[in-house]
Amino acid sequence: MAEPDFTPFENDVESVGCEGLTVENGTDAIALYGRIKITRDQQGLQHALWLRDFANAVVARLSAEKDLPDHTAGPKLTGSMKNPFA
Amino acid sequence: MFRMLLLLATIILPIPLSAQPLPVGCEANFAGGTLPAVDAKHSAQSQTVCYRQFAILHSALTKTPVWSAEHLTAQRVGAASGLARKGTFHAETRIPAAERADLIDYKGSGYDRGHMSPSGDMPDGASQQESFSLANMVPQAPCNNEVIWEQIESAVRGYVTAGHDVFVVTGPIYDGATVATIGNNVAVPTRIFKAIFEPKSGRAGVYVTANNNDVSEYATFTLAELQEHTGIDAFPSAPSGTKGRAMELPLLSAPHHACRAAR
Repeated sequence: MAEPDFTPFENDVESVGCEGLTVENGTDAIALYGRIKITRDQQGLQHALWLRDFANAVVARLSAEKDLPDHTAGPKLTGSMKNPFA
Repeated sequence: MFRMLLLLATIILPIPLSAQPLPVGCEANFAGGTLPAVDAKHSAQSQTVCYRQFAILHSALTKTPVWSAEHLTAQRVGAASGLARKGTFHAETRIPAAERADLIDYKGSGYDRGHMSPSGDMPDGASQQESFSLANMVPQAPCNNEVIWEQIESAVRGYVTAGHDVFVVTGPIYDGATVATIGNNVAVPTRIFKAIFEPKSGRAGVYVTANNNDVSEYATFTLAELQEHTGIDAFPSAPSGTKGRAMELPLLSAPHHACRAAR
């Protein structure tokens, strides 16, 4: 359970988790979602350390970026097709 | 004479893809060993793909599954809960490239790659990795996937852990004359369903959620209603009484999380 074994923003395919939390890596954005209970015990400490290491890794990577924009562009426009099942 | 005709017919008629025998063991994913039954529109240009712990019907028309089926037992869910999430999203090489979604289709689309049979149901590393196949995914609104859908998946696992042996069929619903697409014609579902059936008790029901970022609740359908709306009979082996009556669906008492999609 130590530190998250992934490099932030390195690829678009990796997914790891910590108890009820899910991380999806991405070259443009990382998603972190789910739910976790930090219990007042050794396991809770491990989970808290995981969260700290995750946040540290992301902060380090973003801080090292040159010309980090204020906001990246929003999602691409979607297209449409005739509903094949209608 | 009749036998000879039959033999001739067998030789002459092309065998439809769907009639090809499934790999040994694949039937274990289906209640009564029977695949979900779909109407002609859904079966057109479709292909069944079997994995270690789930199976799908993939449609080249939408580049998504039509359904994804699995069998959940307390033992399986127990093994899955002890396994940390780890996997890499990948295109399905068993489906021809022109018929399947690729990673680039989802990239920057604003939609998640939403598992239909969830990674959290997979009891070992190999089956978990298989669940990351894009053939098991639909474009899912982040606030659906990451909040209510995650809670539904957890609630089903909780129900199974409590000693209920269930079959699950999950899939997209496409409403309306036109549907949105991302990338190269990967269709975005308007709704997503998860049907569960417990043969022992005869209980069954279907969660139905809107595939958007404002979704905060689900509707409960009977199996019969799902079939009316989608043309998909999730569990052909279920008795008609079961199909016409929806169980009280399991739901976690987890607090509702606020969710706002990135703009």
